[in-house]
Amino acid sequence: MNVEVKVLFFAKAREVAGKSCDILSVSSPISYLQLLEEIVTTYSLADIKRNIILAVNEEYCNLDTTIYLKPGDEIAVIPPLSGG
Amino acid sequence: MPKQDFEDLKLEIKRLREELHQKEEFLRERQYKKLQGKNVYNDQFTTEEIVRYSRQMIMPNINPHGQIALKNSKILIVGVGGLGCPAALYLASAGVGEITLIDYDEVELTNLHRQILHSESDIDIPKVESAYNSLKRINSHIKVIPLRLHANSLTIKDIITKNKYHVIVDGSDNVATRYLLNDVCVMNDIPLVSGSALQMEGQLTVYHYQGGPCYRCLFPVPPPPHAVTSCGDGGVLGAVPGTIGVLQALETIKILTNSSGVLSGRLLLFDGTNTTFRNVKLRERNLKCDVCGENPTVKTLIDYELFCGSSSHDKVINIDILKCNEQIDIIDFSTILKDNVVLDVRPKIEYQMCNLPNTVNIPFTEIEKDDVFEKLNKLFKNKLADGIKNVYVLCRRGNDSQRAVSCLKKKFSESPIIFYNVKGGLHAYSKFVDTSFPRY
Ligand SMILES: [Zn+2]
Repeated sequence: MNVEVKVLFFAKAREVAGKSCDILSVSSPISYLQLLEEIVTTYSLADIKRNIILAVNEEYCNLDTTIYLKPGDEIAVIPPLSGG
Repeated sequence: MPKQDFEDLKLEIKRLREELHQKEEFLRERQYKKLQGKNVYNDQFTTEEIVRYSRQMIMPNINPHGQIALKNSKILIVGVGGLGCPAALYLASAGVGEITLIDYDEVELTNLHRQILHSESDIDIPKVESAYNSLKRINSHIKVIPLRLHANSLTIKDIITKNKYHVIVDGSDNVATRYLLNDVCVMNDIPLVSGSALQMEGQLTVYHYQGGPCYRCLFPVPPPPHAVTSCGDGGVLGAVPGTIGVLQALETIKILTNSSGVLSGRLLLFDGTNTTFRNVKLRERNLKCDVCGENPTVKTLIDYELFCGSSSHDKVINIDILKCNEQIDIIDFSTILKDNVVLDVRPKIEYQMCNLPNTVNIPFTEIEKDDVFEKLNKLFKNKLADGIKNVYVLCRRGNDSQRAVSCLKKKFSESPIIFYNVKGGLHAYSKFVDTSFPRY
């Protein structure tokens, strides 16, 4: 089943995606790696694929989990910031 | 004014400042003498200290025990920039007993919009010295130790073996130093109060605190260097690192006073564009983490520049990808500027900020676009008709312009146009041709 979720971009992900949020239709349940792949491909984030945290509804997603998404869930794409 | 006069004036100002400082101290000592010694009302603090810290000490959250803890604390702040300045300011004001500052840089004009411990008269002096002076003016009761050095495995190891810090505050500006400080903190069991900021965004969390995750638990591998933006390139609004730096001070005070509610296992994302704070719950410590896991593979400090593939500062490293005959020296360029085609490939905003007359702005990021090709094609055709076939490519530091030249050469390989890179870009122009061109 596909659900529409809200994707929030931070730091470098925001720069590359060119926006701070977007609506994305993804299948659910979905494995972490599949979800990451989906987001990375859709928003051209391949360069920073290994440097991203995904958080669903403000909670960190573990790499080996299956994620159950509901419509309207918020997925935050968080690379680290290093400036100061 | 001759250069020697500048130097003399600088020395005189320095001497007068020292004299002023001594007189202020002298006055303070006389005026408040009675308040500064031991008193019969409290055996831990002087009268002045009690009055000074009273507004925070009367709260249950701090109370006299917390204030004593602050007084007996030793902390290390790495980076006295946009984050380190506000963090140090509040930590010194709050009465943290000993604050060591590390930074190698000198104060520059481009720092003043956000690095609030430094003032106009501090330009060209080491940041740690400027910060030391500012902090001591605010609180003469605490010990401030300025260390002008580059934080790397060797220097940090030396400092850490000689001192026991209760907290390290990461106010650095690059990836390599962030991994270095993380590993130092894990290996020496010190909480790391980590802040970072760029443009309108900030991040804050406390690593390696009471069994919580470390930086490597979350980000096991560093980002590729080309995917990292520095404040010098991306820009930053001063109030954004200001916000994060102040919060770093707050977290540090909570840790030092053994308070609850420390931002560990959570990551605060601050977005200054719409003033939102998001608190993301993080993972637990990764038992397979390379440094804080059960079987760590990183047991001593490594070469972090090698590990990250980037240097431990945020300065730009210059490239050199063209042949000699494809480049023009800045002095030679300045004499022919008027009658030639000059493409300035900086971003539009930077071009709007300042530009040389008779130049055309073609941002490097748009150089591959079809409409840009058409525009250039037309421009070159007109110029060729006038007998002009040399095109000079210019940018901020002379790096993007080299990339632009190689790209344009391919795109216009059929055309008789010859592209030249202007060596050193506008930085060189400002340095060697006209100092009134803003070097940013
Ligand atoms: Zn770890």
